[in-house]
Amino acid sequence: MTEQTPQPDPEPSVLDRMRERLVPDGMPSDDRGRMRMVMDSLILHIHPAKVEVSTLKWTYTWGLGGLAGLLMMILGVTGIILINNYTPSAPQAYLDILELNSNVWFGELIRNLHHWSANLLIVVSVLHLIRVFVTGAYRPPRELNWLIGVAMLLLVIGANFTGYLLPWDQLAYWAITVGTSIISYIPLIGNWLSRLILGGPEVGANTLLNFYSMHISFIPLLIFGLMSYHFWRVRKDGGLTLPKKAESTLDVKPERVTTIPHLVRREFVFAIVWIAIILVFAMLVPAPLEGIANPDMSPNPAKAPWYFMGLQELLLHFHPLFGAIILPGFAILAIFLLPFFDINLASVGVYFRSQRGRSLTLLGIGLALIATPIWILLDEYVLNWNAWLPTWDMLISNGLIPLAVILLPLIFLDEWMHKTFQADTEERVLFIAAFLFIAFIVLTVIGIFFRGPGMSLNWPWAMPVH
Amino acid sequence: MNNTRTYLIEALIGLGATLIIVTTLGLYMLNESNRINEAQIQVLSAQLDESITLYAENCSVCHGLKGEGIGATPALNNPALVTMAFDDLYKTISRGRFDTAMPAWSKEDGGPLSDYQIEEMIALIQYGDWNVTGERVVNLGFAPLVPFTTDPDPVLLAEVANLPDGLTLQTAIQIFASSCVACHGADGLGSGIAPALNDPLVRAKTTDELTRTITFGNAGTLMAGWNNTLTTDEINAMVTLVQRWDEVPAGIIPAPDIPIPTTAESIALGSNLYTANCSRCHGPEGQGTPRAPSLNVKGLLTSTSDQALQQIITSGVPGTAMPTWGDRMTDAEIQAIVGFIRQWEATAPEVATPVRTGGGGPPWLRSTTATQSTTGSTGQGDVSPALQPIAQQARPLQTLDWRILVLAGAGLSFAFTLIATGFSSLRKKE
Repeated sequence: MTEQTPQPDPEPSVLDRMRERLVPDGMPSDDRGRMRMVMDSLILHIHPAKVEVSTLKWTYTWGLGGLAGLLMMILGVTGIILINNYTPSAPQAYLDILELNSNVWFGELIRNLHHWSANLLIVVSVLHLIRVFVTGAYRPPRELNWLIGVAMLLLVIGANFTGYLLPWDQLAYWAITVGTSIISYIPLIGNWLSRLILGGPEVGANTLLNFYSMHISFIPLLIFGLMSYHFWRVRKDGGLTLPKKAESTLDVKPERVTTIPHLVRREFVFAIVWIAIILVFAMLVPAPLEGIANPDMSPNPAKAPWYFMGLQELLLHFHPLFGAIILPGFAILAIFLLPFFDINLASVGVYFRSQRGRSLTLLGIGLALIATPIWILLDEYVLNWNAWLPTWDMLISNGLIPLAVILLPLIFLDEWMHKTFQADTEERVLFIAAFLFIAFIVLTVIGIFFRGPGMSLNWPWAMPVH
Repeated sequence: MNNTRTYLIEALIGLGATLIIVTTLGLYMLNESNRINEAQIQVLSAQLDESITLYAENCSVCHGLKGEGIGATPALNNPALVTMAFDDLYKTISRGRFDTAMPAWSKEDGGPLSDYQIEEMIALIQYGDWNVTGERVVNLGFAPLVPFTTDPDPVLLAEVANLPDGLTLQTAIQIFASSCVACHGADGLGSGIAPALNDPLVRAKTTDELTRTITFGNAGTLMAGWNNTLTTDEINAMVTLVQRWDEVPAGIIPAPDIPIPTTAESIALGSNLYTANCSRCHGPEGQGTPRAPSLNVKGLLTSTSDQALQQIITSGVPGTAMPTWGDRMTDAEIQAIVGFIRQWEATAPEVATPVRTGGGGPPWLRSTTATQSTTGSTGQGDVSPALQPIAQQARPLQTLDWRILVLAGAGLSFAFTLIATGFSSLRKKE
């Protein structure tokens, strides 16, 4: 016993007790405590306790994965608010959107936030995929996370597509009609699958209910599960990819700092800045809403959602089996299988692999920018394989032949790169991927901005009104 | 130290972003009630706009140009209706009104309107401007459908007086010409919306049945009860006329030849519809093609009335390639096409030269007749761009302006820069 007079312990205030309960050891004051905090926290645990300084450089990842996660969170919160103001039945769905816009405080803002975040998410997800691709970050041991990431990209597109129908306006109705008509081109099961998804022969009340349930339960649940796994996997696979060279040339161990505050602070600042950007954008630019869906009056031209316009454009030039099923199917398959073809670990973490890879990428982009518009113009005004080969099957005259016309020069170019410039497999993959991706972007831009009534080619500033 | 500087910069950026979020949210909230008011006005005006068109297409035939009511049909521009409960209005429109000419309009009850459209109609009754509605009805070409009256042929009417009980027949013919001809047609031969009365089957009906139908109307059809408008004697006279129509000389109640009114709006609509549906066979400017005769020719236009043109388009010409358009377009659309074709009359050539149908192929090899056609000779060149068929408007490769040069120049130079950079660095490596 001490001789000090026993001071009665001051009764801790309610606030103190709350703080005590939340952070039992108090806020950490040293690195050790900060590392502990990361390890003990469920959410912060997606980070290691310490990170290498070089991974903090934001020009390596551009924060794209984190931004995608942030957008998912914004979509989740605004989505839950929107559910409370929505009935998935026609025409009530449209009336609810009108009500939301004209009678609910912050209703329009919430809808705008949801709309623009969803569209931004598609862009960001694709950019994230490209970043991972060009830095070769899908190579062993990260193949599995690449697969999950691609699956999530497809789910994000699915979520956006199902959400597109929900306002039940003309834009939604016809975009979904055009978008889902592609499904019935799948051989054997196409018609059955189309009926299953639409809940009937055409887009109607059942489709709305189907899409609604997919949009608010099935797809978000899958995305949430996969996203958690995706984050966990990043950590498990050793965090961010780093250039091998940097590690080998330095004898000393790379400098490491604690996650709190160095990484977490950056993440918070990044998130707040992006929230501010999205918020201001959503306040200034209202989400589109047209007249109520009218199955008897189709707009001309009827266009799919913007991210499918590349496909719709492709359909104008190919037999549907090729344009809608075979080409996109092979593209997705190739993206899935990439990590199993490209296993050279030497250049992981280096943008575009090497100097030669960089040059080949530039070459691919430049060639695609020139070749795609030329090919579209040729196909629109000159090439007419159907009429030239009337007795041939459409699958050949309008499928295999145009495909050969595109693929043969590409294969020739690829061989040339290989022979003349000694490009290795990864660099050739980079060249082909850059070419095909930019070609797809050009198709999308032409589909969105250059197609007028009857899908005729027009200049955007001289678009005939119909 | 470098570290502190980074920290400061990041903290400042975060603080700035937070301030932006807080202030913009605050400003947005200040404006929110304003925005909601504006949004409500916008929604209402969009609904009113649509409902006026619906009114013109579906309701104006009975309720009149400006909702003033016609004959036995009640007026809608009645202040009492504005205060009527929403549910009552909704039930009346969606399910119809028993024992009157008001049919059920809801799709669920077999009518043409969706629930949403019925709500729009209620918005029209409660908030609409009936003068604007009247203008729209005229613009859409529905004005002639408002019951028109004709004057009975005076010579033939005098002859009727010589028939037994001729005075009764004369009265009835005058009432028919003023109240019934709109629906039951010239000489009682019927129209698209009401059956023929000058018909042996109708004559075979009993006097009681005819009297009852005229007095109380026919529930579920457009036939109104006339007991409030006509006296018992007048109704009896009508029954007599229906029963003895075979004695009345033909042509006594002529069909009026009222030109279909046109507006810039209806002509633009007609022009678009013509381009989309008719120009393939009748030629872009109605010059005709080997598949179908010319329309843009004096002989046809001067001798054919608007009603006849409408009739031909609506029902088609049996035995030719001219299909029935009545089931694909509304009357308003067909009338818009008639108005558009009628425009040509002033400048139509005496003899038309059918164009050859220009096929596909690259534009520089295509026949230019299709696009230039008879412009020079008929003076059609000064049609405003909005009225020109789409096929004649700007197409790529056919027009060159500065934007195309800028776009192509920028795109090509960017692409070539990329390629040149790529190649030069590849060669350097070697």
